[in-house]
Amino acid sequence: MPAWLGQGLLGSEQLGWLLQGLVLTITLSAAVILTGLILGVLLGIARQQGHWPWLALPHNALRNTPLLVQVLFWYFAVGGMLPEAAKIWLNTPHVLWQWQDLSLGWPSFEFLAAWWSLSLYAMAYMAEDVRSGLNAVPRGQWEAAQAHGLRPWQVLRWIILPQAWQIARIPLLGQGLNTIKNTSLTMAIGVMELSYRSRQVDAQTLLTFQAFAVATLLYVLLNLLTQRWAQPRLEAKQ
Amino acid sequence: MNWPVITDNWLFFLIGAWPQGPLGGLVQTSLLALGGGALATVLGLAGGLALWAGWGGALLRWGCEFLRAIPVLLLMFWCYFLLPIVFGLDVPGTWTVIVALGLVSGAYLAYAVQAGLHAVPRGQWEAAQASGMRRGQILRWIVLPQALRIIRPSWLNQWVTLVKDTSLAYIVGVADFTFVANQVNSREQVYALEIFLFIGLVYWALCASLQWCGERYGRIAARD
Repeated sequence: MPAWLGQGLLGSEQLGWLLQGLVLTITLSAAVILTGLILGVLLGIARQQGHWPWLALPHNALRNTPLLVQVLFWYFAVGGMLPEAAKIWLNTPHVLWQWQDLSLGWPSFEFLAAWWSLSLYAMAYMAEDVRSGLNAVPRGQWEAAQAHGLRPWQVLRWIILPQAWQIARIPLLGQGLNTIKNTSLTMAIGVMELSYRSRQVDAQTLLTFQAFAVATLLYVLLNLLTQRWAQPRLEAKQ
Repeated sequence: MNWPVITDNWLFFLIGAWPQGPLGGLVQTSLLALGGGALATVLGLAGGLALWAGWGGALLRWGCEFLRAIPVLLLMFWCYFLLPIVFGLDVPGTWTVIVALGLVSGAYLAYAVQAGLHAVPRGQWEAAQASGMRRGQILRWIVLPQALRIIRPSWLNQWVTLVKDTSLAYIVGVADFTFVANQVNSREQVYALEIFLFIGLVYWALCASLQWCGERYGRIAARD
């Protein structure tokens, strides 16, 4: 065995840490994809309709600055400006739900900051996909639907959005997969997701190869399974 | 708002602790972006041609898929760990980041180049062959220039992504612009808003000007 492989395998404690990291990565990704998609559809519609032209500026800033800087900005700069009472409340544990030994706590401040910043970032990219989907629907669809007496929001809801969704769903899946990878940056503010845990295992056991290999395998599997699960469902005829 | 925190530290933001310490700041970020961009261009062209021509087979395809499936951060960890083992010497952090960024951007660019090559109409090949050109010549002078023109928007996007991803150097301890900003933030404690707004604006200016120059060049080239 080459020396750089180290001696031995990861113990059950370390594997447990990595699995906890995986669970947090999945939880954060799911939360971000949900909020990012909702906000992204709204922003995409607003941008395509051109109601608020000033939206272009923040939208552009979200896409042209590093996600890590955004995470640090929301966590340190905006988080630091919160009122003292809010900071104390956010940094103390609160139990939301308890059943015998199982309990669900209010998420940590780090998790909330990560959720917020990743959601805005995902929103910005998803809005672009929604906007191009909307742009790809022929103008005649609007005119024909309005000629039938539908109101503008009804046209949007029942005629335009379903067609735009057909066009945008696969690019949106790509943004979802990007989101899973992006959650790794939140280790910079101390969110104990999979990348954080792999570094923790590495530091504790010095079994660098094993720690990174398990984390890599879990990321690849998560990416692959999400794609395999979502793609046929999205591609199915509605 | 207290902007002197920026002006007082301007040199530190620009070059970090250099020459007393390692080169850092915005200059380090630019080096990472240029080095990563150069490596990505070489790997993307070579990989794209190979994918298109069917060389390398499943191995190349799986390699590219793998690079796109894992977070860039994890790839940086891997480079940090594996590069010294592969080369048998101490690899500086700057090179670790450049290799990681070059690999991942190269993988994305390879797919773009492959798609661009497929998008060039067959008639171009046939016409060039009829003019007596050889395969290599056709590729170099007729097909590749057209393919690169087709994929220019995605090429540009990938470079913007690469500039943004240089900030990950912070997590592996390379003193890039984000790292330096974080050091100033920990030292000053109370000016986080000014510091992170400032570096955000600088990154924005970098990426937006890159995008703008690329689009402008595209328009000029389209006119010719």
